[in-house]
Amino acid sequence: MSGSLASIATRIDWVLMLLVGLVAAVGILNLYSSSHALGESFHISQAIWLGLGSGLAAAAAVIDYRNYERWAYLIYGLVLFLLLVVLLVGTTLNGSKRWLDFGLFLLQPSELMKLAVIVLVARIVADMPKTDGYSLYDLAVPMLLLAIPVGMIMLQPDLGTSLVVGFIFFTMMFFHGIRPLSTLVLGGATAVMTPFLWFFVLEDYQKRRVLSFLDLEKDPFGPGWQVRQALIAFGSGGVFGKGHLLGTQVQMGFVPYHESDFAAVNWAEEHGFVGMIVLIALYCGLIAWAVRVARLARDRFGMMIAVGVAALIFWHVIINLGMVLGMLPVVGLTLPLVSYGGSSVITVMIALGLLMNVSLRRHVF
Amino acid sequence: MSIWADSKGDKPTPAIPSATAGGVELSCLVARADLDIHRRRTRWLTLFFMIPFLVIMGRLWLLQVGETDDLARKARSNLVRTSEIGADRGMIYDRSGRLVAGNRVAYDVVVDPRHFQDKPEALALLREFLSLSEADVAGINKRMAAKSKREFVARRDVSRNQIALVETNRVRLPGVSVETRAQRHYPYNELSAHTIGFMNEITGSELERLKEYRYALGDYIGRTGVERSYESILRGSPGFDRKVVDAKGIPQGDEAAEELLGHYRRVEPVPGRDLRLTVDMELQEIMLEALAEHVSGAAVAIDPRDGSVLGLLSKPTFNPNSWTGRLSAEEKRRVDTDPFKPMVDKTTHSWFPGSTFKLVSAAAALGEGYIRPEETLRCPGYYEFGNRRFHCWHRAGHGSINLVDSLKYSCDVYYYKLGEKMGMDRLAQYAYMFGFGERTGIGINGESRGLVPTKDWHRKHSPEGFQHGFTLSTAVGQGDTRVSPLQTALAFGALANGGKLYYPRLVDRIETAEGNVLFEYPARVRRELELAPEIVREIDVGMTAVLNEPGGTAHKHRLNYVNIAGKTGTAQVRGFGRQRLVNGEVTLRHRDHSWFVGYGPAEDPRIVVVVFVEHGGSGSRVAAPVAMKILDRYFREIEGMDPNGRPAFAARGGPRRLGRDSPPRWVRPGSAGLGVEDSFLFGSVETPIERPGRLERAVRKADKAANAAPVDDVPSNPPPSGAGGDGNAAVQGEDAESEGPPSKSDNSEAEPE
Repeated sequence: MSGSLASIATRIDWVLMLLVGLVAAVGILNLYSSSHALGESFHISQAIWLGLGSGLAAAAAVIDYRNYERWAYLIYGLVLFLLLVVLLVGTTLNGSKRWLDFGLFLLQPSELMKLAVIVLVARIVADMPKTDGYSLYDLAVPMLLLAIPVGMIMLQPDLGTSLVVGFIFFTMMFFHGIRPLSTLVLGGATAVMTPFLWFFVLEDYQKRRVLSFLDLEKDPFGPGWQVRQALIAFGSGGVFGKGHLLGTQVQMGFVPYHESDFAAVNWAEEHGFVGMIVLIALYCGLIAWAVRVARLARDRFGMMIAVGVAALIFWHVIINLGMVLGMLPVVGLTLPLVSYGGSSVITVMIALGLLMNVSLRRHVF
Repeated sequence: MSIWADSKGDKPTPAIPSATAGGVELSCLVARADLDIHRRRTRWLTLFFMIPFLVIMGRLWLLQVGETDDLARKARSNLVRTSEIGADRGMIYDRSGRLVAGNRVAYDVVVDPRHFQDKPEALALLREFLSLSEADVAGINKRMAAKSKREFVARRDVSRNQIALVETNRVRLPGVSVETRAQRHYPYNELSAHTIGFMNEITGSELERLKEYRYALGDYIGRTGVERSYESILRGSPGFDRKVVDAKGIPQGDEAAEELLGHYRRVEPVPGRDLRLTVDMELQEIMLEALAEHVSGAAVAIDPRDGSVLGLLSKPTFNPNSWTGRLSAEEKRRVDTDPFKPMVDKTTHSWFPGSTFKLVSAAAALGEGYIRPEETLRCPGYYEFGNRRFHCWHRAGHGSINLVDSLKYSCDVYYYKLGEKMGMDRLAQYAYMFGFGERTGIGINGESRGLVPTKDWHRKHSPEGFQHGFTLSTAVGQGDTRVSPLQTALAFGALANGGKLYYPRLVDRIETAEGNVLFEYPARVRRELELAPEIVREIDVGMTAVLNEPGGTAHKHRLNYVNIAGKTGTAQVRGFGRQRLVNGEVTLRHRDHSWFVGYGPAEDPRIVVVVFVEHGGSGSRVAAPVAMKILDRYFREIEGMDPNGRPAFAARGGPRRLGRDSPPRWVRPGSAGLGVEDSFLFGSVETPIERPGRLERAVRKADKAANAAPVDDVPSNPPPSGAGGDGNAAVQGEDAESEGPPSKSDNSEAEPE
């Protein structure tokens, strides 16, 4: 055991470490600027969260992932239970009931559900691989297992997280393969469900966000205004940016949530197009590396874990950037490791720990 | 489910990686093959993940490289708030330095829509505190719906109690604040409303037109009177202050913020200049009191020596403070529907002149040599012209009278006869010479030019074309001629000062707030009357006789301590006859306009007063006492003359103002036998242009016979014992349609918001 641990130590994935370290560094630098604007010290808190997250990631990496395979349903059930508790006695902030108050910290079970779904889907696929892809019959039970937590998260309400959980699920499923006819039926069902979703599930504020996305001018003070100000920040940043701490849009408070969901705006304004290309390159590198880990994974479960983690980062980054660039409606989603927030950092770090776990054990066979 | 169970069962101890490696390999031999399929599939996954990033980067390129200039400008305009620093508007003082238009502090309640949005309870609260009307609330809702970020005024000029309510409930009224502003204030209220004018908010079209002068929405602008005409001088030039603000509008003072501003952070405003008027507010007050009994009319006082306007009063008047502040709908309606049109400046508006126009007729007849002063014409009480009979207002007739008598009694026949000889255009020429038919140049309230009819004018405008009867009527001031009280004052001023027609001086000088004189408006002579000084004097003597000789139409209103000269006027607005009478009474709208022009002291006039009473009736009974009251109080209260003194005849031994020794004014030159006629130079006068020959007259007579109208009765007037009126005879057909509707003046109608 100790020997294997020692051998693991020699196989540490330094590229992954470097990429994560660089993204986290961008996040800290960016938060330093945001803190400057708000008179807070988010960068310190974020560093603490990152440290805590690193510890959890290390723990997640060290335990052989095949244990997670065994515990997959247990983990899923536990997180589902937490979600249920949230619905009953959750703490409400800004009109959303998302948190469990543990005194010292607030836990957001919907974040953990992202991880639980990754592990669960990996387990399902590893248990029942099919060369010609899944049929609707095969997907029925997994989709039910997805629908329960997604429904509960929507009730909180938290559109962004429920979307990401769903997207991760389907990315992993499609990666494994779904039969063409089933794909068609799924697509058709989505089209049919959309109006239902609009009238019975979405909250008013969510609808407003979508509407304001469709017509930015319509709501000059709501989400539309935020995005317009974000676009001004992007554009005024230009090629090389206005410089660290010199972004007027953010520093003067024209861009709300620049420490959390709109963190990319601050980075883009101060570091310009060049800075954004660097940040995107880091994310692309991280995602590509995760896919590489998937390719080199020893077994199907490990491969699916890596794909799931890649999907998690991918969807967070794409939806977040699409949102701040006015290409997608504003749904509350963080930019991994750059946005401020304990739950987000911990979740992403644990996910990266899982990835590291798979990477560590790739040479075993 | 069974499959899962099976696969679970397949797996032996799936715990320690190194130990079970072989086992996994064995159990997954089949699965290994398609694991490779999925390993190859990772390339497609990478592609799937990367394509959206290309889209994101494309978008970033467009924004940060393509649109960067445009968006950088937007970021700047976000940050830099340019606030205007209003210039203090100049004060307006009267001739003795009394403040007639100043500024006081007013409080406006301002709403910032960015913070006031979606707060119906706040609106309800605001409505309660400021007692807003339905219309006000609708206005606020409209502004909110417009989604503008610009602040707007919910209510102007609120009371101190209202300020207190708003301030103490700040928390419940997000985005509501109280701002101070300089509000124009007129301490004399309605006393000089038309002349000083008032201000109100600038209109959209003015904003567009005056773009280059940096007016802003919500600015006040002079609307009428001096406030409008001298807007550019009074207003000054606003300065500005540029500040870097954050999203909440809070100014940022740090160095980085300063750097963003660059140059031109603050430009100080240039305050407006003060105006010193020639108007005397004390005289205005006297005028208003003198006209107290009359609903509608005007009074003008000028100094004949330089054309300075001493007083301008128009009745009914209005309160410029309410028009400048919050004008209630009720007050606006009251003013708009008042038949006497309070917003019309009647001093610069034109009306039928009546007998005051005999000034022009006399000057024309003498100047063109149609008559000599001592020459007499017979007045039998009427004059036959064509087959029409033109009556003198005094039916019994005045007998044989000369020029001075004709003015003293205001004889009509004398002027019918001269008018017939002179013709319409000769009269018009002299009317123009006295400044009628053209703007005086006072420059306020879009003054009326009046009307001096000529033959051409009649051909164009009279239904039956020009008729020679018109000339007769015009000669006694009953034609289509229209004159403004101000024009009349200046024309009589020219008579009083010996022949100089002045431009009116309303503003004496422009000063800085410290009292440094920037510009002084000089007295400007418009023209010297082309009249021999003797002719001027002769008419002057006639005017003096009006008050100072028994039988003069205003004799009974004379003052015993100072000699006044003057002329009465009664202008018909409707032909005499049945249509004017309702139950035997003359209805108000059909009553004559009453005029009186007085100037004094007759020996050396320092003031000309014109009083016009709309539909007042007889000039000698209505306007004359008003004007004499004004003159009396002017001399006693403003000049400080001793009412028990004697007229300073003895002091007039020296050179007369016409430059030659002359007998006391009350001695009639003709009867005194001093040979005044010697000085007339009739021989040099060129042949008048219009002196119709016998044949021509015969032809005209025939024309007239064809469409002659019956001659109307003249209402009974008292005998000319001094108390008599001087209503003029007229042919009904001429005046029937000539009731003086106030013509539209350019800008006297205000357009309050």
